Amino acid sequence: MSARLVPPGARELPALTELRLEVRAFLAQQVAAGAFVPHVDTWLTRWNRDFTRELGRRGWLGMVVPTEYGGQGRTYLERFVVTEELLVVGAPVAAHWIAERQIGPSLLRYGTEEQKQAFLPGISRGEVVFGIGMSEPDSGSDLASVRTRAERVDGGWRLTGTKVWTSGAHEADAFFALARSAPLDPAHRHEGMSQFIVDLRAPGVTIRPIISMGGDHHFNEVHLDGVLIPGDRVLGEIGEGWSQVTSELAHERSGPERVLSTFQLLAAAAQAMDDGRLPTDPGLGRHVARVAALHHMSFAVSTALENHEDADTAAAVVKVLGTTGEGDIADYVDTLTATGWALDEELDTLLHAAILQRPGFTLRGGTNEILRGVIARGLGMR
Amino acid sequence: MATDPRELAAPTTPDPDLVAVLTELFADYRATRATPTAVVDLDRGLWQRLEELGLTRLTGSESAGGSGGGWVDAAALLGLAAAAAAPVPLAEHDVLGGWLLEAAGLPNDGGLRTVCRPDPSGVALNVTWARDASSVVALWEDRDQWRVADVPIDRVGVEERRNLAGEPSDTVEFDLDDLEAGIVVDHAIGEQFHLRGALARSAQVVGAMERVVDVVLAHVREREQFGRPIGRFQAVQHLVSDIACETALARAATDAALARAAASDWTDPGMLFAVGVAKSCVGHAASVVVRGSHQVLGAIGTTLEHELHTLTRPILARRSEYGSLQDWDETLTALASSAGHDRLWTLITTGRAKTQRP
Ligand SMILES: Cc1cc2nc3c(=O)[nH]c(=O)nc-3n(C[C@H](O)[C@H](O)[C@H](O)COP(=O)(O)OP(=O)(O)OC[C@H]3O[C@@H](n4cnc5c(N)ncnc54)[C@H](O)[C@@H]3O)c2cc1C
Repeated sequence: MSARLVPPGARELPALTELRLEVRAFLAQQVAAGAFVPHVDTWLTRWNRDFTRELGRRGWLGMVVPTEYGGQGRTYLERFVVTEELLVVGAPVAAHWIAERQIGPSLLRYGTEEQKQAFLPGISRGEVVFGIGMSEPDSGSDLASVRTRAERVDGGWRLTGTKVWTSGAHEADAFFALARSAPLDPAHRHEGMSQFIVDLRAPGVTIRPIISMGGDHHFNEVHLDGVLIPGDRVLGEIGEGWSQVTSELAHERSGPERVLSTFQLLAAAAQAMDDGRLPTDPGLGRHVARVAALHHMSFAVSTALENHEDADTAAAVVKVLGTTGEGDIADYVDTLTATGWALDEELDTLLHAAILQRPGFTLRGGTNEILRGVIARGLGMR
Repeated sequence: MATDPRELAAPTTPDPDLVAVLTELFADYRATRATPTAVVDLDRGLWQRLEELGLTRLTGSESAGGSGGGWVDAAALLGLAAAAAAPVPLAEHDVLGGWLLEAAGLPNDGGLRTVCRPDPSGVALNVTWARDASSVVALWEDRDQWRVADVPIDRVGVEERRNLAGEPSDTVEFDLDDLEAGIVVDHAIGEQFHLRGALARSAQVVGAMERVVDVVLAHVREREQFGRPIGRFQAVQHLVSDIACETALARAATDAALARAAASDWTDPGMLFAVGVAKSCVGHAASVVVRGSHQVLGAIGTTLEHELHTLTRPILARRSEYGSLQDWDETLTALASSAGHDRLWTLITTGRAKTQRP
């Protein structure tokens, strides 16, 4: 048998299911009370700071952050079931998603004691909101080409450059910026990059909306005009930005948000088939099967992360399959609906949003073409 | 609340010692077998070897002369045997036939069995390995009752046919008296048979697909064109990545169903859904894996002497057994639509879809 791309599966035990049901019951009650309207792709497009803070109060944020930093000191497996439940119900989770998913773990790994104390309790309460500043106008898949410059000055660093596609920057308090702290050496392209914790309210920061094709405002251009970064807001080591960024990719890529962005649409389609509003079609079963299998696969990756095993390739597998599938669900439901045949406001709303968000699914967080390359490397082909 | 991960998730992997033995056994088999043929017959020598190792009755209870193995171990055996394209009826003889005999309280002399579900007139189509069996275990639905009969081969009519894999896949005609003399078994047995068959086939197809991934990887490293190994071309890397991803998804789905079966001894009400997920993911993966692997292997992969068809032909033959891909997708569609909006996620996590409406 070949070396496995994905770690072996595991069965969820009752202690975990209990947590799952607790979260589910709370969310059902929130939906019933009208606290939010379920939607698709909510982890990038639906901000609700009150809801996020309520999750913090319930101990469902900062789950893998140790208690001394205001977190819950729980496991990746517990975090996994909580995030799954939030996503399937289409809850507004964008306000905390990035901070909770990757900023917290990065700070735990690379942050100074002072940085951990400064940010982790707020992240765990759902009060401190973060974005990610990696992409630039001329640097997408090829991140090593970032041009944002970091120059050493008295008391710290000055950042100059432009970040784009920065999800939620207009709502966020801070972001992690990847910048060049030493000139590009073409022979060692991955050297000379560093990560900085940037206060998005600092002088010299300009945030302009970039409007998505559906007319909504989710991401931004963030212009950094000689922004002063205090020396204690360097993340990790100067010059180690590349390895720091890439070491967190498994967390960023393997989670249920890479599978479930359109789950509310799939659920609505299942209901519509039962009610006779959509024709009964075996494609529904096929998509449901893939979601179920990815639920197991993503859980398996979580168990590997819990055991501190290398899961980069496995995470790429989840993301390629998951983001393709969640997009295919949008297209699939679209092929079943006939305009002019029936008015179905709920299904239409979900479907239109899903179709408009779909192109981003297989781009954000590393495109599927880049990820296939990662998988090919995992298979020893490059 | 527990935070010890061991209280949260239980791994479900086969016995590593068994896997080591099987890996060696089948590597040995692969190295010494004859070149591939278009028509595939039972390998009696291999069967005997497996018998001596107690592997032909891996799941039989110890009191009935079996090795007392569970489904997770049995699936590892089925998968590794399929990866070696070993022409032996492990699924038919042990996990299906042996199980039915035990469930009916019928004796098992260890003679080679195959298994089938004859129609009301006593005819069963596509009975794999029937011509090689010493008797055929029949599961027969007779006026609301399920019966199991162990019918000696000389009492049935066998019309020899072959499946897409070139394996015996015969038409068997029973004497109705023999079926009527069968032992009445619980309804659950009759219902489980189809699920067990479908999951056994899934385990075999996944095992074969994993071997295809290995064959493909070896080829893209060795074969050179334009002065470099073809695995250096991004187009090829992406084809191979898709083959490997689909195989991994099929594996995840199959293992999840196996874990559920093993944890509940098949009594979990979510088994229909779990097996359906496995059968669906395996079946759709087969399309990608068979198509992609033949594309990557080029002309050499289309030849009789090459190993590839010894895997791709059985992959396609078996994905259609115990329910077509379309049948299973329809079953899942029915479960999903009856779960509806509010219980679709419950269905996915537990396999149960009870509707809350009256
Ligand atoms: C909804 C959304 C939210 C986002 N949020 C953020 C955010 O918060 N922060 C942030 O920093 N970024 C964010 N991004 C940016 C995202 O990470 C980039 O879109 C992504 O990395 C791809 O870069 P690009 O768009 O410049 O495409 P390009 O890199 O220009 O790629 C264009 C096409 O070329 C292909 N391609 C490129 N290089 C190769 C290669 N070597 N081999 C094969 N094919 C190749 C790509 O796969 C793609 O199909 C977001 C993007 C989206 C869509």
